[in-house]
Amino acid sequence: MSEFEPKIVAFVCNWCTYAGADLAGTSRTQYAPNVRIVRFPCTGRIDFMLLMKAFENGADGIIVSGCHPNDCHYTSGNFHARRRWIVFRSLLDFIGFDTDRITFSWVSAAEGKKWAGLVDEVTDKIKAKGPFTDLDKLDCTKLKEMYDEAIAK
Amino acid sequence: MEIKTITSAHISTFFNSLVQSGKVVVAPVLKQSGKVFFEPVQSYDQVSTDYIQTAFSAKSVVFPKVEELFSYKKKEDGDFDFNSDMSDVPETVVWGLRPCDSSAFNYLTDFFLKENPDTYFKIRKERTTLISISCAQADAACFCTSVGLNPGSTAGSDILLTPMGDTFYAEISTEKGKSLIDPALFTDCAEKNKDEYLANVETRFSMDEIKEKIQNAYESAEWRHESMGCYGCGACAFSCPTCTCFDIQDEGSQESGKRLRCWDACGFSLFTKHASGHNPKSNQTARRRQRLLHKFKYSVENLGVVSCVGCGRCIRVCPAHLNIFENILNVTKA
Amino acid sequence: MKQLQNKVAELFADGTISLMIGFKNSISGQPVPCFIENASETEQLIYNKDCKNNLSVYLHKPEVKQAKKIGILANIATLRSLVQLTSENQFWDIEKTVLTINDQEEVLVFGNMEEVEAYVQANFPEFTEEEKKLLEKLEAMTREERWKYWTEQFSACIKCYACRAVCPMCYCQQCTVECNQPQWIKLSAQTTGNLEWHTMRAMHLAGRCVNCGECGRICPVGIPVHLLTVKMNQDLFEEFGSRSGYSLKGEYALNSFKTEDKEGFIK
Repeated sequence: MSEFEPKIVAFVCNWCTYAGADLAGTSRTQYAPNVRIVRFPCTGRIDFMLLMKAFENGADGIIVSGCHPNDCHYTSGNFHARRRWIVFRSLLDFIGFDTDRITFSWVSAAEGKKWAGLVDEVTDKIKAKGPFTDLDKLDCTKLKEMYDEAIAK
Repeated sequence: MEIKTITSAHISTFFNSLVQSGKVVVAPVLKQSGKVFFEPVQSYDQVSTDYIQTAFSAKSVVFPKVEELFSYKKKEDGDFDFNSDMSDVPETVVWGLRPCDSSAFNYLTDFFLKENPDTYFKIRKERTTLISISCAQADAACFCTSVGLNPGSTAGSDILLTPMGDTFYAEISTEKGKSLIDPALFTDCAEKNKDEYLANVETRFSMDEIKEKIQNAYESAEWRHESMGCYGCGACAFSCPTCTCFDIQDEGSQESGKRLRCWDACGFSLFTKHASGHNPKSNQTARRRQRLLHKFKYSVENLGVVSCVGCGRCIRVCPAHLNIFENILNVTKA
Repeated sequence: MKQLQNKVAELFADGTISLMIGFKNSISGQPVPCFIENASETEQLIYNKDCKNNLSVYLHKPEVKQAKKIGILANIATLRSLVQLTSENQFWDIEKTVLTINDQEEVLVFGNMEEVEAYVQANFPEFTEEEKKLLEKLEAMTREERWKYWTEQFSACIKCYACRAVCPMCYCQQCTVECNQPQWIKLSAQTTGNLEWHTMRAMHLAGRCVNCGECGRICPVGIPVHLLTVKMNQDLFEEFGSRSGYSLKGEYALNSFKTEDKEGFIK
């Protein structure tokens, strides 16, 4: 029986976290292969809808990571991102989205080990939670399906 | 036309037998928000009877707010599987329509089937039976009597039920309607006069007069004033039983996806925008004028009927409470 | 009422306004927005507690802006919108005269936006009992229950965009949903697309919404959409001390930052 292998999508900034992930690679650090990295110039560029869209397109878990505060390559991008995440996370929790599936972190270019540890931690956490199914079967265009649902209720 | 009667006590039995027969029964249901909507139900006690009009029409049974036209999926050999199977569209009974709503289905049928028959609509309509209930009450937004209808009209319905004290008077207009009648519950009866059981709907205007005056209404200076309050949303078009505009959206990826037909509204600012960037209806006045003239003039020219059925939903649902019949009266003041 | 009608007639007479946006009675008994362009029409004007529409949204309309000198009758939520919109520099091309009716039923005509700001700050509205109750009920639910609640609500959404249309803060000439390269928010009225739309809208309004509650009140299918932005405003006030519609020089929380912003969830 094959074990569930979660799909983790990581939205990372080019200058710190991407470089950190690169360092993990060049150091031959072994870590979970479940992550798919999407590179941004800065966390300030990460649109909040991207997180939701990742889940819609099959992600089971998400990592969002960038430069530490005060170290942003563009000076303040990560400060704006931080505010955005605080607000978006609260909104997601309010509508009942599982915010545990999204992990935010600061990983610098020197923290290859931290990156590897983070991915391992998130992969284990999502493995334990199971696949993300909250968005499945939400859309039904057929009246009969609606009817079946009404009966099930 | 067959005429029968059924006791009020037996209505729930009749209703529940429709559900038992395996058909999907869509009826008015009172929601937590206090509004009444058409929804699939399983028993008569879910049905709301104490309301004047539902918030939205029942057109979604034959013209859903989102309809999948087809879906596609990439196969292993690189070719594609297309699926436009409509065999699972269920036999549906719509219960509790008002006479204005069932008459609207006649317009929808003309619109979708007359010139270039729309297969999707055709299949849904064939599998739908309409059981209307006459109106004992009306409110200030109702104006069916101004557009050639009345609260006891059988137009468009397969069966029209009129509550008459402890019985319901049933007028069965079609074979489809006949096939639903259970002789154990319905008995023959003589023709009765429904007038005393019907609501009194104030006539706001004479349709004949309007049809003539509206020919010159395009240039009326009143349009600007009448349209100032319009927010440009789609609430009126979406709640309207005869609005049929739609947008085609493709959702998917290179691997799989679907083509959807979604409701659209002429009130939206980008509704008429061309790919060139030119927008022939670039302000709300022009858009609102288009909408009203379409209902009262262009439908007459295209399909021979006024497409407004006087249900009043657009008035009730409009955030600015714009009033369609007041508007028509104002622009046709000679 | 008479006081209001006379005051507006005066403003027309001395040329202060050429268009008045207020309320009149409709055939169904509900007050509706009305647009008056000369003193002889002022008899239509009414005001009572059922006058709930936020009229500031009309100040974005090209047909209205043509008038150049506009009078507007504002309740407290509308006054807040006007302060917020002024802080977003949205009224550079019109001259407006703002009127309100206070709790003592007196008609007040504000001389400038600073007076409006002072009035708003002195009478800053709190959440209504109904809003508080529903918010509490939602916050008391488990996450799964909230998900069920909101997905059920959103499944009824028909994407009529009435919530957007009545919101004074939604004044983008081309909304995000109207951009189709790429089609960022699904246009179809299915639950996922509806979820995307409402989430996006709540984020774009976080810290800008003034809690007029119009979006939730007028939703044709009865979804309490205003709760999303109300919650956002609550959070932004708790986290960053920001309050929309409070100050003419107000800072938009998501446009600014403090290096000391704290959060507990970033690893």
